[in-house]
Amino acid sequence: MNSPVCPGAPLCCAVNILKPRSSFQIQKSVIFALVLREARARFGERRMGAVWTLVEPVCHLLIFTLLFSLIRGRTVAGVEYPVFVLVGMAPFLLYRNTALRLMDSLRENRSLFAYKQIKPLDTYVARVLVETCLSATVYSILVFGFAWFGFDMAVSNPLQWLITLALGLLFAFGLGMILALATHALPSIKPVIRMAFFPLYFISGVLVPASYLPQAMMPLLLLNPFLHLVELIRAEVLPHYTPVDGVSEMYVITLTVILLFIALGSYRARRLHLISTKNG
Amino acid sequence: MFELKNVTKSYLTPKGRRYVFRNLSLSIPPGKNIGLIGRNGAGKSTLMRLLGGADIPDSGSIVTDKSISWPVGLSGGFQGSMTGRDNIKFVSRIYGAEGEAMREKVRYVQEFAEIGDWIDEPIKTYSSGMRSRVAFGLSMAFDFDYYLIDEVMSVGDAQFKRKCAEVFQEKLQQSKVVLVTHTMPEVEKLCDIVLLVRDGGIQIYEDVAEGIKAYNT
Repeated sequence: MNSPVCPGAPLCCAVNILKPRSSFQIQKSVIFALVLREARARFGERRMGAVWTLVEPVCHLLIFTLLFSLIRGRTVAGVEYPVFVLVGMAPFLLYRNTALRLMDSLRENRSLFAYKQIKPLDTYVARVLVETCLSATVYSILVFGFAWFGFDMAVSNPLQWLITLALGLLFAFGLGMILALATHALPSIKPVIRMAFFPLYFISGVLVPASYLPQAMMPLLLLNPFLHLVELIRAEVLPHYTPVDGVSEMYVITLTVILLFIALGSYRARRLHLISTKNG
Repeated sequence: MFELKNVTKSYLTPKGRRYVFRNLSLSIPPGKNIGLIGRNGAGKSTLMRLLGGADIPDSGSIVTDKSISWPVGLSGGFQGSMTGRDNIKFVSRIYGAEGEAMREKVRYVQEFAEIGDWIDEPIKTYSSGMRSRVAFGLSMAFDFDYYLIDEVMSVGDAQFKRKCAEVFQEKLQQSKVVLVTHTMPEVEKLCDIVLLVRDGGIQIYEDVAEGIKAYNT
């Protein structure tokens, strides 16, 4: 195809010396590069990858909402059921996927640490950003779709809603990082953690209002921060929804701070071990 | 130049901690092509990664004011489902080549690796020869003060090998190499100073022939 070039003249002048950059600039460009790579890798897995990556979660949410509205009837807690499920399930799935994706991030990006600019933390941040963008796109598609068919999709407390969403994301980030560090030390617990996320679906009140869950178990169920998050998010979107007693933003904030502290602390302690090629 | 101060490096294995280097201090004079030789498992590649900053010592410090490449010909960092072009762009972004500089790099690699319009195919569809040509070209597209070379010096067919050697000779006008190898003629040809890695210690030989003699005994 290409004629063999004489390596002297045309090639050598193509090269130019790069300017030194500050640490912040390096991290910024590394995260940017990783986000693009991550997105490309997700889209590139299949033919029409970009479409599938969006269609799959859209179908997942759509099927669940429609299925459960058939079983449970049209309204719950004064809201139309599909709207009720969508509002809680979309963020829950985002948090779950974020945590699980971070857990696998180390193994999938191991070869990248040969470039000294890339550190495991950058790959975590990039994953969260990609996951959030995908999730936000899917959610908007569904919201527009639902609104088209006449559902009321207004958010009653938009600012508070965004803050709670961000808080949940921070929580998922901390959780994912701890899972990543834990599974790096003990790879065999991965399937256990994956399975543990399944019942979380039901005890977090994703499909029914938390007030429908057994009252006797409430003190125990309220230990689960996902329940708090889902309830808070619903209360902020749906104007007449009252979260179950004991749900508090403060609890989630405290837990998030503690989790992030542990995650970043143990990351700092284990950072040499994480990038080393000799183990894991 | 490199300055190693009290460097300790160990790896945690299932059987416990294994030390590669303990309290190692040495300084490598500037402006020399460095050859790292030693038996298998002596710690040559670890030392190379430490010098390149891809691995960090447990304690102590490694100081240098020079820019150092990633291991030349590294293709493990490629994402198989991404096209050659996207992979080249990825590395360019990490090394801060944006906009026109990035397009320049892509052009350079495409021309150097002679892959033509394969550049827009996913890397996983490449033959192993093409892949390593791209990897080698990518290393050559950037200017570093030191190039890290771990064993692989020649890829592809005879004609491409010649081309690699020529470009590399040209690079050596301004840059230096850190070469890890078991092939002594290569060390004789390229290096000005030899570091013999043995039993967790490092001996510096300013005289290459002497270093090779010490390695052989």
